[in-house]
Amino acid sequence: MMNSITATGWLEAAPLEISFTKEIEKLELGDGEIFYGEGILAVTKALLQSGVSYVGGYQGSPISHLIDVMVQAAPQMKKLGVHVEACTNEASAAAMLGASVMYPVRGAVTWKSIVGTNVAADALSNLASPGVLGGTLIVIGEDFGEGSSVIQERSHAYALKSTLWLMDPRANLPSIVKLVETAFQLSEASNTPVMMALRIRACHVQGSFVAKDNVAPEISMVNLLSEPAPHEYERLAHPPVTFGHERIKSSERMPAARKFVRDHQLNEFFAGRRHPDVGLIVQGGLYNALLRGLLELGLADEEGGCDLPILVLNVVYPLVPDDILDFVRDKRAVLVLEEGQPEYMENEIGTILRRAGSDVVLAGKDILPMAGEYSSEVMVQGVGGFLRAHLPRVGNRLGDKTYEQEIADLRKQAAALLDKPVPPRPPSFCTGCPERPFFAALKLTEKEIGKVHYSADIGCHSFATFAPFNFGNSILGYGMSLASNASVVSFQKKRPIAVMGDGGFWHNGLLSGVTSRLLNGGDGILVIMKNGYTSATGTQEVISSPDVQLKRLSAEKSATHGETTIEDALTGVGVKWLRTVNTYGVAKMQDTLKEAFQTSFNGLKVIVAEGECQLERQRRIKPIRAKALAASQRVERVRFGIDEDTCTGDHSCIRLSGCPTLTVKAASDPLKTDPVAHVTNGCVGCGLCGEIAHAATLCPSFWRAQVIFNPTWWDRLQARIVGTLTGLKQL
Amino acid sequence: MNQTRHPPLRILIAALGGEGGGTLMNWILAAARATGRKAQSTSVPGVAQRTGSTSYYLEIVDSKSTAVPVLSLVPLPARVDVVVASELVEAARCLAAGFVSPKLTTLVASTSRVYSTAEKIALGDGRYGAENIRNAAEKLAKNHFLLDLDQLAIDNNTYISATLFGALSGSGVLPWADDISRAAMGQGAYAEASRRGFDAAADAVKALRMNAVAKAAEVADRVQTAPPNQPEIADLETLPKDLRTVLSHGLDRVIDFQDKAYGQIYMNHVGTLLAVLDFDDHRAVSAVTEGARRLALWMAYEDVARVADLKTRPERFARIRDEAQVQPGQILWVTEYLKPRVEEIADILPEAFGRWILQRVKRGGKLPFLGRGIQLNSNGILGFRLLRLVASLRHIRRRSLRFKAEQVAIVGWLQVLEKALKRDVGFASGLAELPRLLKGYSETQQRGKAAYGKIIDGIVTPALKDRSESAAAPILRQAISAALADEDHKKLDQLLAGEAERSAVVGRPGRHADVHQST
Repeated sequence: MMNSITATGWLEAAPLEISFTKEIEKLELGDGEIFYGEGILAVTKALLQSGVSYVGGYQGSPISHLIDVMVQAAPQMKKLGVHVEACTNEASAAAMLGASVMYPVRGAVTWKSIVGTNVAADALSNLASPGVLGGTLIVIGEDFGEGSSVIQERSHAYALKSTLWLMDPRANLPSIVKLVETAFQLSEASNTPVMMALRIRACHVQGSFVAKDNVAPEISMVNLLSEPAPHEYERLAHPPVTFGHERIKSSERMPAARKFVRDHQLNEFFAGRRHPDVGLIVQGGLYNALLRGLLELGLADEEGGCDLPILVLNVVYPLVPDDILDFVRDKRAVLVLEEGQPEYMENEIGTILRRAGSDVVLAGKDILPMAGEYSSEVMVQGVGGFLRAHLPRVGNRLGDKTYEQEIADLRKQAAALLDKPVPPRPPSFCTGCPERPFFAALKLTEKEIGKVHYSADIGCHSFATFAPFNFGNSILGYGMSLASNASVVSFQKKRPIAVMGDGGFWHNGLLSGVTSRLLNGGDGILVIMKNGYTSATGTQEVISSPDVQLKRLSAEKSATHGETTIEDALTGVGVKWLRTVNTYGVAKMQDTLKEAFQTSFNGLKVIVAEGECQLERQRRIKPIRAKALAASQRVERVRFGIDEDTCTGDHSCIRLSGCPTLTVKAASDPLKTDPVAHVTNGCVGCGLCGEIAHAATLCPSFWRAQVIFNPTWWDRLQARIVGTLTGLKQL
Repeated sequence: MNQTRHPPLRILIAALGGEGGGTLMNWILAAARATGRKAQSTSVPGVAQRTGSTSYYLEIVDSKSTAVPVLSLVPLPARVDVVVASELVEAARCLAAGFVSPKLTTLVASTSRVYSTAEKIALGDGRYGAENIRNAAEKLAKNHFLLDLDQLAIDNNTYISATLFGALSGSGVLPWADDISRAAMGQGAYAEASRRGFDAAADAVKALRMNAVAKAAEVADRVQTAPPNQPEIADLETLPKDLRTVLSHGLDRVIDFQDKAYGQIYMNHVGTLLAVLDFDDHRAVSAVTEGARRLALWMAYEDVARVADLKTRPERFARIRDEAQVQPGQILWVTEYLKPRVEEIADILPEAFGRWILQRVKRGGKLPFLGRGIQLNSNGILGFRLLRLVASLRHIRRRSLRFKAEQVAIVGWLQVLEKALKRDVGFASGLAELPRLLKGYSETQQRGKAAYGKIIDGIVTPALKDRSESAAAPILRQAISAALADEDHKKLDQLLAGEAERSAVVGRPGRHADVHQST
């Protein structure tokens, strides 16, 4: 059965991303009701409590939920008057904030940072220059450190260069919600957009807060303005007024922001119970981890009581000199705990102290590591070092060294007992993923024609950089694969290949890659994974997603089959060599790849590798099947398996597939010592196993089982006759 | 360190993305809140949801105070009260990272394995050592409960999140009654199934807590996977047990492959090894045991007749029905994916005919049906009959091209093995294992043959010639692992090239001293 129990893969993952009904209910909570839920949903609720007129963004971990919930809650949003836009990239989302430049409307957008902020940068600069009338908030999901899938850079740099304010709230729901609401006021008080950075664990933190009623915006899709804003040249990001903007940023907006932050005590001062002569200054988002570290050192309790004074900076840009100077007054030394490099805050605090003639010793990245995540473990060591230097009577009695030793010993002991390093387990393609067969085909093609330069991209297909495929010479960003080999193609004998997803294609690839290559008449091969969605971020829709009609018609088949938006766009811009190949046809894909590598046609060659995202497909199939089975209708289920008798335990098949359900097990044959290949019952019968058995001339061990539920009289008759003639009785 | 204050209950869940770790986290959270406790949880899903390692972390406070606790979002090594792992290697990952402390941590882990790609893609056996993990768990956890929670979930028609929750509850670390946990699993049919799994796991863990029932159960597990009953072989009764077991399985295999006469040949071959075996030397006994194992597998090589025969046996279809969970009243059709190359066809034909075909194809001639993938319905009339026809080729197998070639190769190997047994047991045991490389079909098979040939020519023959078997023994072992390290034999070629160079240097007079220093 399709929903039979399995230990692996998507079958259980599936329900996670489908429906947000429960979440949407939470968005409608009123005054005094308790909201229980995760961080990013609390932000969403806080936006509605703040009276936003519009919300937009581009998906990506850890903020995908904000968009997903908003898009699904469109009817409720419409009632409130909130316009929701699923933007096609972050630049589009940032530009949407332009509504607040000329109109007193509040708006919020969201994306994953640092990558998303990079994409949005042009619009952000042009937004920051004239500033805003209506409160404007950018919620950035900081995918920094563990579990991250992006480069490790600080969004802080954008705040500094564009003069945008940056919040880094304490990671508990009441703090986050309060700061979201305050951010709009801060933005309005200083005519400046505010960014709020939420680390990945803060986005997913499950907590609670007391809800308020949602606020319907005064200007909105239900309360329309009859006239456009007047033409005010001063509010355009265009010279010469930009020179004026530059001055206002520091002379008016910055002082206004600092005043607001100070007046509203957005930064929090926790007086120490004991040691007033030293202090800690910490980014809000690190506060909980710091406290846990201090608890470990015996300097704090779990209710936030602490022996050391702490200044929590919920607003990390701009810093408020008076807040800092108040904090350091009567102190001999302070330690700044600031995650990421370089130490922007520490440097600024140094300047503040120096200008004020303060002789307080400033410690920070001289004790703490320059790079990497600031976990409790790291901060314990930093605080220990700081106290030994500046509060020796406490520092010398601390247990941080003992703790460090304890962990080191424990890890050493574990390593000795385990004998070998634990095998890595990076994410991989789902069971039945339509992208995997493409990489099998490419691997087989390379066996014939030799290795080729492979430009990788961002998306599920970047899992092909891991074993068993190990593809990729470079990753330059989302939708950038083709653009990244524009020069490589000029000095490679064999044509390089660029792979991108449909998500990356629409986000950037069509313009940066395809049209640029066409404009220059360049050679090259581009493969577009047409699976119908931006699957890696949670299967959000793109412009070429199959519509309801297509999905209905295709039922259990790939719904992307009849969708030609990508092909139409490519033809429209002038691509002459274009093939669409279903990925499960491995041999055909191999032939097409070979043709692309060897043809005398010297322009851009595009292969659209088509196959609907298996997650989405199974979500559609499961209810159809459940309904059919409930009505005792005929249903077929297909799955693959392996004959243990003939499997010799070489695992070539696994090296060409990597499917989670194609695994190994101990041979039950007592003569065989190597484990044999084995297909678990999670198999969705995508057909790749059979295809590669053929395409690679692997081995005869694969079988395909077609199981007929509720067979018809014709099925039965057939089975009976065949059973009699073969001696293999079925019924 | 700070034992007087009561830190929160800290629970770290290690799981694979999409496995239900989030569900488990939410259940624990709901149960904690139902008891009036303050609780917080967090996770790092991201793309790790696609079958990669991921973790979930909870902190639960039993506080009378109205103050809002400051709970951490990140686990601190050696400061976690409970580690729950849905899979054995994920438990190992937590152990390696120092999250399991002998002073504090209860480890609840499923012994089920979901092999990682790194383990699966090995050309031989790449599985991570489970015994080491168990051992580390016993030594490093304050309390440990290791049991197959995946199987328990399957048995109860539910998911592993339910059995993990039950095991966690049964371990006694949650400061509330089982019923509160059970209630947190919600309503409906799914919840009922979840609760059954929960109960089964909670009971199993309670039993583990009671005493060493665990040990008994584990032993029972192992007994089940042990080989089936051995037929007694009267004249072999005096042989050591392992050797006897292999011989009886091997004999069965070879007879099943061809006939009793072929079985006699197997026994004769083994006899030549037994004749030179020193039964008091246990290393020699294991070398011969390994040799007998490899010999049987080699003699029962997989040609098209063998494959067709194995694929059309009734017990095979019964096994598929079982594996695909086909219920009574449902119909099963089985499709085979066959793509015999001309070599495989020539292999089963009479020697002269087979050679003629190979030459003809070499010259560019074509043969019908070859080189193209065939899909056969093996329990359909046509497919079944066709496969049976191919299976019947076993009657002409003795005269076939491959049969003759394999017998020559086998005898060649037996001769060197016999010689090695007399001279150096270490070398002989490597040689006994060498046919492990000869496996698979088509390209894989050719690759194995090539590696085998390279090792025979590059290491075995020279060693026997120079009587340097004991020096060559470790190199032979290395060569076998090298041959299984990568598909292109890069490692093996490197090793062999190094060997050739070394022996060239050793062979040159006056350089011995240098070489000894550098080795």
